Amino acid sequence: MMPQRTFRETETVDFVVVGSGAAGGVLAKELSTAGFDVVVLEQGPLQRPNEFTHDELATEREGAMLNVAFEPYQSFRAGDEEPWSRNPARGLVYRRGVGGSSVHFAANYWRLRPIDFRERSVLGSIAGTSFADWPITYEELEPYYTKVDWEIGVSGAPGPFDARRSRPYPLPPMPNKSSGVLLERGARALGLHAQVAPVAILSQPYDGRSACMACGHCSYYGCEFNAKSSTLATVIPKAVATGRCEIRAESTAFRVETNSAGRATGVSYYDRDGREHRQGARAVILAANGAETARLLLLSESSRFPEGLANSSGAVGRNIMFNGHSSTFGVFEHPLNEYKGAVASRVVQDFYDTDPKRGFYGGGGIDARFNYGPIGFALDTLPPDVPKWGLEYKRALRRYFSRSVRFMAHITSLPVPTNTVTLDPDHRDRWGRPGLRLTYLDHPDDMKAKRWFRDRTHALMEAAGAAKVWDQPVTRIDGGVHLLGTARMGNDPKTSVVDRYHRAHDVPNLFVCDGSSFVTSGRGQPTMTIQALAFRAAEHIARFARSHAV
Amino acid sequence: MRSRGMSTPHDRPDYTRRRFLTASGRVATGSWFTLALAWLPTLEACDADETKASGFQHLTRAEVRTMRALAAQIIPSGDGAPGADEARVVNFVDRAFGMTLYAASVPLVREGLADLDRRARAAGARAGFSALAAHEQTAILRTLDHEPFFAAARALVTIGMLVDPAYGGNAGGVGWTLIGVDHQPSYRAPFGWYDAQEVG
Repeated sequence: MMPQRTFRETETVDFVVVGSGAAGGVLAKELSTAGFDVVVLEQGPLQRPNEFTHDELATEREGAMLNVAFEPYQSFRAGDEEPWSRNPARGLVYRRGVGGSSVHFAANYWRLRPIDFRERSVLGSIAGTSFADWPITYEELEPYYTKVDWEIGVSGAPGPFDARRSRPYPLPPMPNKSSGVLLERGARALGLHAQVAPVAILSQPYDGRSACMACGHCSYYGCEFNAKSSTLATVIPKAVATGRCEIRAESTAFRVETNSAGRATGVSYYDRDGREHRQGARAVILAANGAETARLLLLSESSRFPEGLANSSGAVGRNIMFNGHSSTFGVFEHPLNEYKGAVASRVVQDFYDTDPKRGFYGGGGIDARFNYGPIGFALDTLPPDVPKWGLEYKRALRRYFSRSVRFMAHITSLPVPTNTVTLDPDHRDRWGRPGLRLTYLDHPDDMKAKRWFRDRTHALMEAAGAAKVWDQPVTRIDGGVHLLGTARMGNDPKTSVVDRYHRAHDVPNLFVCDGSSFVTSGRGQPTMTIQALAFRAAEHIARFARSHAV
Repeated sequence: MRSRGMSTPHDRPDYTRRRFLTASGRVATGSWFTLALAWLPTLEACDADETKASGFQHLTRAEVRTMRALAAQIIPSGDGAPGADEARVVNFVDRAFGMTLYAASVPLVREGLADLDRRARAAGARAGFSALAAHEQTAILRTLDHEPFFAAARALVTIGMLVDPAYGGNAGGVGWTLIGVDHQPSYRAPFGWYDAQEVG
């Protein structure tokens, strides 16, 4: 990245954006391009592409780029009547660093569909949930989905059930993998349709970046070729190039400052050495992800905002959704070599809609992949009947890795008000901020949906002709990487945190735009929508700023 | 004490792209065998004592011998492909003993290795577990392969077999070769047999 303009803390800039990930990067680029001065506070470091490695132990097992390496203790309880204990899983997971989780994501770029935005009206209420319509429609968001396609760089081709798109994909599909060929085979046999899986990875050179080299290290890893369309590779260099944007790395926000009039005045943060700083701003935008945005709002309580900033509704931190998953593994006669290429090349979207005849809410898409490195494969994926050691273990390692595939369903999660991210009074992060606590219990419909989709992935695997088929057990969610719903959009200030333009109902110059803005979970792969929301929000926020309405 | 966190992980080797490309270069067929032979004298010289083994940071000589024998039981040599011994898994285990990620496993594995030696001595093998015949080792392990020690040791051995060679295990990339990985920094389609059929 080129040298950047730096702002003094004593300056009051137009915008402080907290977070440089999928949403923060887009907001920084759009607002600086529109002529505003922007400081982006990013808690993690700036890593350049030549610093990314294929080291599975450090990257996947150790989670060196993730928050969990920085803040290893997270509390968890499976429902609000259970006791707290240390989460045996990783819990709320995201990447710390410039570009955020858009650096290490798998880059699956599904749009939501019209039904996602008005599903509550179509299906009615669901007991035990805060199921609601979005305050915007697909048609309102469509131009911004298209903007993501073209500004970020998305490769794909339309499928039979896709929503209307105003412009074709800018890049042709990635090469089909053996997993995709087999998913197509299974789908055909069952009368289903396997369509191209759209990805934010370049199938051809685009916008000064090189095409994917099929190294096979998308999920969990940073792309050393800049072919994965992270914000680090795409919009952040453009934001910096405006001369009006500073990406201030290793700056961990801990409080949005407000004045007696109830307006945001800036953001206080810790630098890499834990020293406190404060950056003043005319307006503050939180794009820190569904866990950190909630934590920051809750940390910013004051006598005027005793329950946390922008939380008169009580909705901050509530309704967290992760997307459910279920999977079936298969071993085939010949090598697939799924360790090469992007994660998924085909997806079955025939089960997107909720079908009331099934007796539960839920829909999803099924893709084909085997996104495990050699270590993850050996420790986490072998079928239960394979011995754990000895010659037969060695033979399974030898035979299965290149021949294994996973058909994976990505499914809705319902918004449940008692599923929450809250502050942990007993455990603190490295800077002394209260830790993240997760309360989560799957809604009964979500468990039914996971089991139903497990049967579909199983049937597809059988139909694809696998020599050996086994299911991953369906389990409850205890964390995840899709951090959605904790500062939801809505028209009613009593039940939502931000309005349809991402402005906090309670604070006129505070905006929140990231996964926390989601009202429902979609069927998985939320980043495309997070970025469409960010492009849309930036346009409106710039409009407000120009008319002195922030 | 506050540190900068993830940008320079404290317990893994400084790792550059150049080193990655060097370490991951294709290994000529059979080179694992030569590598294994060159490595043997160090271990043959081990005594059953509690001093650090030569060239190791954490494991004692006794632990090296027992861990090596255990690793060879988990992923055996032979059957036409290298095993844990040829991959020098014990070198990785030694490295792992100094890593934060495995801090909780160290006492468990240490005690488990000592227990294997105690059982072997009770069975008459004065020099410990590694001095038992392979079938005797197997018999002991069958009695304890559901214990936490075994799970921790198995994980370390498996990781040592498949980890980036920069960590000391997977010598010459033999573990990757075993599982069918043609280890390259990038690839071209077709990737597998099924997509190759489609391309024709």
